[in-house]
Amino acid sequence: MVLVLALGDLHIPHRAADLPAKFKSMLVPGKIQHILSPGNLCIKEVHDYLKSLCSDVQITRGEYDEDTRYPETKQLVIGAFKLGICHGHQVVPWGDLDSLAMLQRQLDVDILITGHTHQFKAYKHEGGVIINPGSATGAYSSITYDVNPSFVLMDIDGLRVVVYVYELVDGEVKVDKIDFKKPQ
Amino acid sequence: MMSAGNGSSMNPKPVPAWLNSAAWASKPRSPVRGSYSFGDRSNSASLVESIGKPAGDFDDPLINIAKPPKETITSQEESDATGPAAQAAQAQISDNSEHSSDTEENKVAKSPSSFEYRVSLFNTELSRRRIHLAELQRLSSQGIPDAGGIRATTWKVLLGFLPKNRDEWATELKKKRATYSVFREEMIINPSEVTRKKEEMEALKAAELDALEGPLQRHEISHDDHPLSLGSKSVWHQFFQDTELAEQINRDVKRTHPDMQFFCGDNDFACENQEALKRILFIFAKLNPGIRYVQGMNEVLAPLYYVFKTDVDESNANHAEEDSFFCFVELLSDFRDHFCQQLDNSAVGIRSTISQMTQLLRRHDEELWRHLEITSKVNPQFYAFRWITLLLTQEFKFADSLRLWDSLLSNPDGPLEILLRVCCAMLLCLRSRLLAGDFTTNLKLLQHYPAVDFNHLLKVADSVI
Repeated sequence: MVLVLALGDLHIPHRAADLPAKFKSMLVPGKIQHILSPGNLCIKEVHDYLKSLCSDVQITRGEYDEDTRYPETKQLVIGAFKLGICHGHQVVPWGDLDSLAMLQRQLDVDILITGHTHQFKAYKHEGGVIINPGSATGAYSSITYDVNPSFVLMDIDGLRVVVYVYELVDGEVKVDKIDFKKPQ
Repeated sequence: MMSAGNGSSMNPKPVPAWLNSAAWASKPRSPVRGSYSFGDRSNSASLVESIGKPAGDFDDPLINIAKPPKETITSQEESDATGPAAQAAQAQISDNSEHSSDTEENKVAKSPSSFEYRVSLFNTELSRRRIHLAELQRLSSQGIPDAGGIRATTWKVLLGFLPKNRDEWATELKKKRATYSVFREEMIINPSEVTRKKEEMEALKAAELDALEGPLQRHEISHDDHPLSLGSKSVWHQFFQDTELAEQINRDVKRTHPDMQFFCGDNDFACENQEALKRILFIFAKLNPGIRYVQGMNEVLAPLYYVFKTDVDESNANHAEEDSFFCFVELLSDFRDHFCQQLDNSAVGIRSTISQMTQLLRRHDEELWRHLEITSKVNPQFYAFRWITLLLTQEFKFADSLRLWDSLLSNPDGPLEILLRVCCAMLLCLRSRLLAGDFTTNLKLLQHYPAVDFNHLLKVADSVI
């Protein structure tokens, strides 16, 4: 039972001041084993905050990140799953599922976490699953102003993943869940 | 039993009295000395040494006699009744013992007749339809022989886990073991499992999970059913609160008896034992939110679990976890106030028990008491705290503490009485050294209690009023 948090596109301090208070109150240290972030945090203080929640933080470079040392893509193995992270601004057209699927095949991962569109998406194709956690602060994106803060928590248990989607709708936290299994 | 030195077999002749003297020692076994008590053939020495083997594996001819009481009622009583048969049996045994293999390293110089006699006494006692508790207590206070699971059964009867009426044993056991399984189901939760079961109840379409392409469906979940929830009714929240408790228990269990393969070996058996200990302590803590888990409870549990797990009777050994849970609860019911910090200064707390012990010492030996308390100013809390809360498991070798617990559990007035008497006796046995020492030497001596002749200690304890 491994809990993996995926959140990105915070754009602190340029476009947002901080995470919503309701999100912050839920994120306490000691529960989560890994944090994956597609990028655009943008400053070191945010990185330190994430480190305080969990010691294993994996970040890839978004175009506004001030730390240039983050890699473009990352792959890791958690349990029976291979996960990949990439910010997504490199993949043109932005948010296009076929192009992202190509990237996923390139990285050879079961679950790809991307961002940049600031819209939550979870899509399954025969190569695996693509998850976009959206923007955790609700910052405006290059495409739209209408963004709901959201992030994703995955519970990896054997060959099954339960994805909990946390979204702030009208000031209230709404939690949904998605199940999928890795084919044998 | 002829000592290893004498080669000739003297089977037909009865054993001369001088040979029964406890002064004869066997082949020295360095780790466990001083555990020989008259009439108690401490197989426990070899038991402890052997790596996680249940007692049944021993090549001990005497185990054949001391089978679980149910099976040997008739044969045992027959052999007791017929004199010449008994003699022949004894002769047989001494013959066997003489030629017994190297696994049987305890070639103690006691007469086999007295060991078997005690084994037979216990067997007859335990095989009665209605067990005479006072008689069993009297027998146990002299030490329970280490053969054929007698100790396990006796402890279970003494602690009230098994009822006095033998006919009820089977039903009682079944009932209690079932209760434990229920506890286990309820208390030890894995939230992922819980959510999975809930979904299966809601009949999630399997087709959805295997959908080949397309956006994944989002499902509403009942509030608070997610890992980050802070609601008190959430399964996840409970789980994270329990992890703290579980971690504390884990740390302590890993440090229980690090020198024993049974608990701290590299093998699966030891891991299994540790897991069982952890579960028992966890369930106890959840069922008793008043005292939860306190460091030291693992030490009180360890001998119980060891004795039950090494029971020769396989069916009992497999349920050692359940049995030791209930016996642990029984045992702790007398001592739980010692573990509660708020009760420290009250009339039932640990401080008052310690002062009871010192008063006992004062009544018996004023000079020593005066020297300890006033002259060398050794606060009894420094040494007696561990002695009393952990029921002396940390002061002696494991085998010795098993023998000590025989006496503790067999006292009709309750274990606390005799515990205090033994503590006094421990002080009295070191009388001359304590009187000669100052604060530092006395404290050092009492906190690392030296090996003494165990029987002598128990005799002194008996004499303390």
